[in-house]
Amino acid sequence: MVELRYVRHRYEGRVVLDFEQFGLPKNGTVALVGHNGAGKSTLLRLLALLEMPTEGHVLWNGTVVSNRARGALRSRVTLVEQRPVLFRGTVRENLQYGLRVRDIRHAAADGIIGDVVDKLGLAPLLTRRRNELSDGEVQRVAVARALVLRTDVLLLDEPASSADRAAAGALYRALAAERAERPFAVCIASHQLEDAYRWADDIRALAEGRLSPVTPENLFRVDLPAGEGLKSVRVGNIQIAAVSDRSGAAVLAVPPTDIFVSREPLASSARNVFKGRVTGMAIEQRGAGVQVRADMGGVELVASMTAEAARDLALTPGGAVVFSFKATAVRVF
Amino acid sequence: MEFLAEGFRRAWSLLIAGDSEIFGIALLTLKVAVVATTIACAAGLPLGYFLATRRFWGRRAALTVVNTALAFPTVVVGLLLYGVLSRRGPLGGIGWLYTWQAIVLGDVLLALPVAAALSAAAVQGVDPRIRRTAETLGAGSWRTAWTVAREARFALAAVITAAFGQVVAEIGAALIVGGNIRGQTRTLTTAVALYTSQGDFGMALALGLVLLVLALLVNIALQALQGRGSG
Repeated sequence: MVELRYVRHRYEGRVVLDFEQFGLPKNGTVALVGHNGAGKSTLLRLLALLEMPTEGHVLWNGTVVSNRARGALRSRVTLVEQRPVLFRGTVRENLQYGLRVRDIRHAAADGIIGDVVDKLGLAPLLTRRRNELSDGEVQRVAVARALVLRTDVLLLDEPASSADRAAAGALYRALAAERAERPFAVCIASHQLEDAYRWADDIRALAEGRLSPVTPENLFRVDLPAGEGLKSVRVGNIQIAAVSDRSGAAVLAVPPTDIFVSREPLASSARNVFKGRVTGMAIEQRGAGVQVRADMGGVELVASMTAEAARDLALTPGGAVVFSFKATAVRVF
Repeated sequence: MEFLAEGFRRAWSLLIAGDSEIFGIALLTLKVAVVATTIACAAGLPLGYFLATRRFWGRRAALTVVNTALAFPTVVVGLLLYGVLSRRGPLGGIGWLYTWQAIVLGDVLLALPVAAALSAAAVQGVDPRIRRTAETLGAGSWRTAWTVAREARFALAAVITAAFGQVVAEIGAALIVGGNIRGQTRTLTTAVALYTSQGDFGMALALGLVLLVLALLVNIALQALQGRGSG
């Protein structure tokens, strides 16, 4: 649907995004995870055609989007910012805004608005003004304002950041209901990995402007100690070395493809070396690799490797195995 | 004190009697002020929006020029305009010197920087998310500008008030390019200066009071507009 290729985007000379490809497939759901300042909002702004990349291309259905075409295509994609604002006027007037832009008025507009209002439970708020709404309500109205436009692409930047669990659940259910009626592509930037895994087809991690795939394996909720750089974090009975300047609650992710598998400990720069036993092996759904599961002192880790490598190592369930990975391979969310 | 009291008495009697000269001068002043403010704001507000929202080479220099023009002496503007409109000047052929149109032109030159600089500041004061949100909802540049203007309506109304105030209180340019011709280019400010110099303090005071009332009425009207709706 919409795709970014060979993008290097700068703000005031500083590179904020730098990757080869990011695509949002037609009717697909993609989650973009990463901590604050990772570049998620900028990436969404490029996808929303609000900005053009300093270097690289934006493609729409495979065709490079020119500056001239951008204006027309912008009506087919919409973005809800992380801290959305409502315009002056009532909630109903806000919901009508984008429809008026598209010359959809009166009964047609009322029908569309009524449908979305029901899904998001906004009926009691319709006559209220922005200063009479909580942050969570503003966020719901902003999502509704985007949904009524029925665009081909919907981009949401932390849509549930001001919502409690119940409200976040209602929001995701409303999105699912809307997608069941009318397929469209969704990309949600979130730091809630658990939410992302629940509904997204594909998850991409963004760190310092660079993209990497994220898989549901090897995710650990931890409490990061204060300080900068290399730190050791307890996960079950093992200590995982990670590099991060953050502190407090976080999620660690170790990409299975970044784990080295061997029979004996290797002399290497890897800060994380764990001995354990293979608990299971499975052919990967995507690609021709093998997933090796191993118990590392009560913590299960999953590594990805080629079938040939697994055969060469003669890995079998119950056999000894060593997993090694660098501290820099550990993603922190 | 007696002199002042006498002045106020005469001014009051002239106003009560509906002096035709005062009425004519006030009407011309209002006409000049409304036309000049309209033109200055019609050009200045979009210019201010452009300066506030677009990033282009030389933007900072343009803002500096506009801000500097805020403090441009009115007599200097009048003098330059006189040179341009006089028979030997580049626009001498249009014959505007000593007409109310010349006063309007001078006033526009003075009020335009006020409208542009203050509206740029007003637009910069609007939450930048408003503009971005309008764009994400598919609004084109005009509708986006209108949406931002709606959010900045209080500040923009103050800009119009300031531009009107600049125009209605201006004397230097009006005197030089208007010529203070009775019944044709005599405005409230030039008339006040003339009657004061002639020693007719009562007439000058009456005209001064009309000027004040005029400014007050415009402010009340704009405040009423500001007060409509909130949130």
